[in-house]
Amino acid sequence: MSSSPSRRGSPPHHTGDPAVRVQDLSVIFSHGPGGPVEALKDVSFSLDEGQTCALIGPSGCGKTTLLYTLAGLIKPSSGRVMIKGEPVRPKRRDTALILQDYGLLPWKTVWKNVSLGLEIRRVPREEQQQKVEEVLGSLGLLAMRDRFPGQLSGGQRQRVAIARALTLDPDLLLMDEPFSSLDALTREELQESLVELWQVKRPTLVVVTHSIEEAVFLGQKIIIMSGGPGRVLYELDNPGVGSRGYRRTAEYHRLTTTIRDLLVENRLKSTSHRAQHHPWESIG
Amino acid sequence: MWNKVLLYLTAILLLLLGWWALALVLDSNALPTPPTTFEAFWVAIGGPLKVHLAASLTRVVVSIILAVLLAVPTGLVLGRVKWLDWLAGPLIFLTYPVPKIVFLPVFMAIFGLGNLSKVLLVGLIVFYQMLVTTWDAARAISPQLIYSVTSLGAREWDLYRHVLFPAVLPKIFTALRIGLGTAIAVLFIAENYATNRGLGFYLLETWSRGAYDEMYAGIIAMGLMGWGLYQVLGWLERKACPWMAD
Repeated sequence: MSSSPSRRGSPPHHTGDPAVRVQDLSVIFSHGPGGPVEALKDVSFSLDEGQTCALIGPSGCGKTTLLYTLAGLIKPSSGRVMIKGEPVRPKRRDTALILQDYGLLPWKTVWKNVSLGLEIRRVPREEQQQKVEEVLGSLGLLAMRDRFPGQLSGGQRQRVAIARALTLDPDLLLMDEPFSSLDALTREELQESLVELWQVKRPTLVVVTHSIEEAVFLGQKIIIMSGGPGRVLYELDNPGVGSRGYRRTAEYHRLTTTIRDLLVENRLKSTSHRAQHHPWESIG
Repeated sequence: MWNKVLLYLTAILLLLLGWWALALVLDSNALPTPPTTFEAFWVAIGGPLKVHLAASLTRVVVSIILAVLLAVPTGLVLGRVKWLDWLAGPLIFLTYPVPKIVFLPVFMAIFGLGNLSKVLLVGLIVFYQMLVTTWDAARAISPQLIYSVTSLGAREWDLYRHVLFPAVLPKIFTALRIGLGTAIAVLFIAENYATNRGLGFYLLETWSRGAYDEMYAGIIAMGLMGWGLYQVLGWLERKACPWMAD
């Protein structure tokens, strides 16, 4: 494994700070259609370095807002978000964000899309070349290097988006419903590649999802949220993530059932005093 | 490929036959037959017509280049910077519907009777079309795309270079196609005044002499100019927007 230029002393000197610490985070959008909208309220949790986390909850629970806040794209209205002991800031070099629609540029070939992060960071051409080739190879995308995103399948596009994030050797990888528009088999295949990649590089991984199965397959910590305003309902530990054939174990099935029950129960509770649909989910 | 060529040839043949038939039926000086016209075109293009064609072509091309160079960056910035968009919005949309051709006398009074006033007038009209197109296209770029590239560490300039400009490029070409037709039409009118160069002048001059076959030679030259510029645009677009290919 070649060492990366963009990574500045990550794992060796362990600071003791958690990879992500969110404390009493609230986010209020002042430009909601009916006045200010409270998207997140008093959200707190923390993640260890190299841990994976799934954020799950109904539409409008603010999970995408939370992800954007972790990426530094949305400012906390109150509370704190610390990444490795430092307050979150936009353009933190070691954070990578993959959005729902993959965020690929239609006018750039696979190669150019994947090298974009390195190009923007003014990494020397030769290093770019090497890194992109390595990452494309590891994701089985080298043959597609000259295609445009419009000429790829959904699964391939998602791989390209992952490849682009990986070129930056992130220590924090944020994904917003990464596999939601893929067919069932492609989705499982990509979830498995993601776990494999994670096992090699061990970034801290946060995945927003509305799929219970995906949350259980990917999240060592599963955070269940509820909406109006977005809060953390439960935090579940799921140590089996990454073990062989996890999808077929009893533990996996037990957890999916537990989460389903919790979500249903919460829905019944919340519909009784929340009839209104909340519009801010359109942000993500 | 060959199918397309064949289609074009058939279309040309049909047009020529229709024209010929009409010329025979009307039997008027004002509509000479194709052979007469083409002969006149050959003669004229070897003589003064090429000077007029060159003058018009230069004016159109210079106007369009000027308009694009000014409109595209302006449109991108307006589409990206909220408060500028907010300020400039009413200004542009109030003046956009005013037919700019009415400023021809004003332009001639201010910028003189020469090339400058004509180029500026045509340029202004194309500028508006390009500006509005670029602006709308820049505003329509998905915020997700901007977020994604920002999260890669992009600065403002990187966004313009990697996201905004390429995103609006295909729209720019569409606007150019439409703008080109307008530009040639406006130029024709502008060249009717205070010049002795250009296809507009040539057409009017031959018409006033009743030299219909020469006038038609001018019309052909104008048609060829438009067709040629379209071809150039198409070629440029294929080069610049390879991802748009089907």
